Amino acid sequence: MIEELGIIFVRGVGLGAIFTLIALSFNVVQSSSGILNFAQGNMFVLGGFIAFMISAQGDPSRLMWFAILPVAGIAIALLLTFQGWVTLLPLRFSTQQNSWIITTMAASTIIGAVMLLLKGPWAQTASAPFEPFNIFGTRTPAPYIMAMIACVVWYVVLRWFLTKTLTGLAISALSQDLEAARAAGLKVRRLQLIAFAISGLVIGTAGYIVAPIISIAADTGIKYVLNGFIASVVGGMGSDIGAMVGGPLVGVLTMFAIYEFGGHFQNVVSLLVLVLVLMFVPEGLFGRARARRV
Amino acid sequence: MLEAKNISAGYGSVPVLRDVDVAVNKGEIVLIVGENGAGKSTLLRTLGGFIKPERGTVTYNGEDVTGQSPEKLVRKGLRLVLDGHRVFPEISVFDNLRLGAAAKPADKAGFDRAVENILTVFPILKEKLRAYARDLSGGQQQMLALGQAFVAQPTVLLCDEPSTGLAQALLPPILTFLKNWAASGTAIIIVEQHIDIALPVADRAMVIERGQVKLSCAASDLKEQLRKLNEGRSTAAV
Amino acid sequence: MSAVTLPNQPAAPARQSWIQARFGSDFRELLIGAILIAATGLIPDIANSSYWTHAFELVNIFIIASICQNLLLVDAGQTSFGMGAIFGLAGYGAAIANTMHGVSYTWSIVLGLLASLAGGVLFALPALRVQHFYLGFVTLSAAVVLPELAMAFNTYTNGIIGISLQFDEMHKRTIFGMISPLSLVVVVVTIAVLVIHALIHRSLLGRRMRIAAESPEAAQALGVSPGMMRFIAFLVAGVGTGIAGVIYPVIVGFVGPTSFSLDISILFFFAVIVGGRGTLLGPIIGVWILYLLPNILLAEFVNWRLIAYGVAALLIMILMPDGIVGGFNNWRRKKRSAGQRLDLNVAAVLGTQQGAPAEHAPKSDQVLVEVKQGRKTFGKVVAVDNADLVVKVGEIHGLVGANGSGKTSLLNVLSGFSRLDAGSLHVDGVDITRLSPHRIARLGIGRTFQTPRIFGNMSLWENIQIGRDARFSGSKTPIPEASVEMLRQTLGEGSPDWVPHGQRRLLEVMRVALQESKLLLLDEPAAGLSPEERKQFGALLRQLRDQYGKTFVLVEHDLDLVWGVADRITVMDAGRIVASGTPEEVAKDPAVRHMFIESSHA
Repeated sequence: MIEELGIIFVRGVGLGAIFTLIALSFNVVQSSSGILNFAQGNMFVLGGFIAFMISAQGDPSRLMWFAILPVAGIAIALLLTFQGWVTLLPLRFSTQQNSWIITTMAASTIIGAVMLLLKGPWAQTASAPFEPFNIFGTRTPAPYIMAMIACVVWYVVLRWFLTKTLTGLAISALSQDLEAARAAGLKVRRLQLIAFAISGLVIGTAGYIVAPIISIAADTGIKYVLNGFIASVVGGMGSDIGAMVGGPLVGVLTMFAIYEFGGHFQNVVSLLVLVLVLMFVPEGLFGRARARRV
Repeated sequence: MLEAKNISAGYGSVPVLRDVDVAVNKGEIVLIVGENGAGKSTLLRTLGGFIKPERGTVTYNGEDVTGQSPEKLVRKGLRLVLDGHRVFPEISVFDNLRLGAAAKPADKAGFDRAVENILTVFPILKEKLRAYARDLSGGQQQMLALGQAFVAQPTVLLCDEPSTGLAQALLPPILTFLKNWAASGTAIIIVEQHIDIALPVADRAMVIERGQVKLSCAASDLKEQLRKLNEGRSTAAV
Repeated sequence: MSAVTLPNQPAAPARQSWIQARFGSDFRELLIGAILIAATGLIPDIANSSYWTHAFELVNIFIIASICQNLLLVDAGQTSFGMGAIFGLAGYGAAIANTMHGVSYTWSIVLGLLASLAGGVLFALPALRVQHFYLGFVTLSAAVVLPELAMAFNTYTNGIIGISLQFDEMHKRTIFGMISPLSLVVVVVTIAVLVIHALIHRSLLGRRMRIAAESPEAAQALGVSPGMMRFIAFLVAGVGTGIAGVIYPVIVGFVGPTSFSLDISILFFFAVIVGGRGTLLGPIIGVWILYLLPNILLAEFVNWRLIAYGVAALLIMILMPDGIVGGFNNWRRKKRSAGQRLDLNVAAVLGTQQGAPAEHAPKSDQVLVEVKQGRKTFGKVVAVDNADLVVKVGEIHGLVGANGSGKTSLLNVLSGFSRLDAGSLHVDGVDITRLSPHRIARLGIGRTFQTPRIFGNMSLWENIQIGRDARFSGSKTPIPEASVEMLRQTLGEGSPDWVPHGQRRLLEVMRVALQESKLLLLDEPAAGLSPEERKQFGALLRQLRDQYGKTFVLVEHDLDLVWGVADRITVMDAGRIVASGTPEEVAKDPAVRHMFIESSHA
């Protein structure tokens, strides 16, 4: 019994770490431009796709794996910068300030469709050169633990970037007072694009790291972005600490649901959690009470 | 240095300014007064690039900069300080200053000198250098906002109601600071609701009423001119 | 450039044909749409091509769902990425009832529709709390979850195998020997849904939905509850989509988890975007482009259809955000109305003579509005500090003070947008301290906002009509029908862009006047008006007061205007009332003099 709970907890936190990473990548873009990127889930899967491509050549050595890690991050960062540019484009001219909801959904659809074309609807697998860990007497695949490590690393890096570097401070300023930032002459568009790029680094490396334990397929991106969004909402949109807490919370809940009710109900439970939180505590645990109240 | 002619501007479909002319020269301080809703803020925002005028031109150092974004204007040396002592609350005082200079090309020596200057003029900022801006009082935040603009070494400064929310005692140092700043060559436009606050440091003055220029004269003549104007009015308000 | 001015004499109102009254300018689009649907629905059948018959039957029911999405997204302003789930609920509901429980298909349809209605309600609930992106996400989750639930509950749904049905009779070309009953049903139902959408769009309900979508505040001021509008929209869209959903099994003969994947939800949404949001023909064109083209005409490229959805939507959002039909409509409208202007001579419409001295109505002493010891704080800021205010029937009451003096807060309290923390508010003897804004509006209190709430997506007449829609309490001196009819004829389907700003203000006041409210709260109405327009405005207020007995509370910065028009004035400073009385009295009050000297009136 304790063992079972232990497994649920560890895997739940590991899964939650994935959600946290997605939420962290959400936050940096959301706070600088107000955009919540639907395509983030598919970007995450693309990161995993890169790992799959490496594995397809034969099991990678540790050196190789670590060498490609930054490549995955940079590749996705570039793609996200391009997507960001396309998304921000109509915002300059039209009065449709909500156009990004549609354009990010369109981008997500396109990426999923490309994956469908290339590989069909079947899930790919990737392998990574790391032994499973022994926790609570059971073998837990390494990626769960590595996701947790990646979480902490990115949290620290993001905090350092946003509070210690001038560019990071400027990006942070956008979320605090956009008009004052404009008045100071900060290059708003460029900073917003940098934010997109950073979110790409986070999500690309995240997908690459957890590739062995996720389903790399054309239609899984949406489910990851949903769960990442839920983690954000639970923790409080825009709050990195909230993401660190919200992720594991949702992860453990999800794992519990899978064990109790079966895999099919994973997303139903997530949906219920989302609706309940939005109805009763929309600003989340650490949020700035700025959730979309009506 | 900065000249605007025939400016008509507003927000969306609401026209606020009609046919306004304003100019300011090197080393000069121009004071613009008017009631709420008269259009003073709208004018500054138009000059500062936040609003694109429907009609009219803005010329800066001979160059037509009508409708250019604040991003471009700050780089050229035209800086607007918004009303309401707006600084970045979750960022330290020092980093706020750094951000103030971020838009201009890197000039470490110049920046350090400017910071020294600011901290001398406003010692409280030196004391709270590492504190978050949200922990400052309204008046201190206003000093910081001016400091942010100062470190960018603008040639034209637009100041929107710098006295709002400030205790009486804090005004003189700020006004003296602005006076010295102008003396070093910067052109300054100050907008205020109440005349007496900034009149002592102004060279010229303008009165805006309902989106139009009612009066434009030397600062020393303002009170006299206003009196003459109001004598001609038939409202019970006077 | 043509200008249209109102003649001084009200002419006899022209009679409209029934079609004009119901559909107006939409009629042409409706006709085109009906023809397109009928042609594509019936011709393949007549030509005996079973492939194309089947294809267009599907296309047409997808059009039904897209029309519902259009209503939901544009008329009601709700972002839903989950209509495919409701489509699926209806389809599954009908199929399960029919095959697994032996219910006749007629009754299965009813059950399927009930299922979609339930789906609509489930979507409506989060919509009461969140909007836009968040709502989109919630509905997206539903679209993802439905196929999974279908698989999970496989005892009820037959899981991945799905449910097969047979409707041979419906597919046989038995009508006139050329058309199958199914084709006919599909065509008739699709056209019916198209017509119903147009009817709703132009109806009272449609107008209320649209204003609730564009400005919830303005809607509340007109007595409309935005939450209720959203709820109704989801119900209507849900049932409509359900209609398409229950026909689907008849066409395809099969229902399975893969029938209702996320792709369908995306299709419905993007079809509206690409075709043209808010247009009648948009959903038709959208479905043709996004579904017909990739799935049928480019059949080898069926896997490209998702890319087509995405790329098309992206390109449209960047290049032509109003969609194909919308872009076309815009172009036509620009050509037609280049430089059109409309000059309103509002006073004439109200039946008064310009220049003639207005009959000064006898001043009554009856109290209309009374605030007693009203107090409102926002956190540490005291916006209204123990204020007592009395407004008498039939007076123009000015409310002045510097920024932050509390006058706008007090106005918000009077209209219900802010609730008093302490003290009471009575109107006509009724305690309305705790009422919500839309209920207060229904008691006969109208208000305008600092920025004119003129709705760009409605015609000029509709902008005023919504005021008439909000007549909840009959007035003893209503504005004559003939005047209203004349207004309708002059303004007609003109666009608000034709009217200069100063006159938009007048439009808003007209709207509020047509509401037949007894109390009108005006928030800085003169902002943006030229000196000449301010004179006109003051005259309008006086006429409305004298001719129709309206009471006004006017928050204003323009002291000349206020002193010229008000019967009594209240002055506020830092949340407190510092003076109240006739203009002469207040001007002499020492507490007030210092306010003026501080301003540039020095």
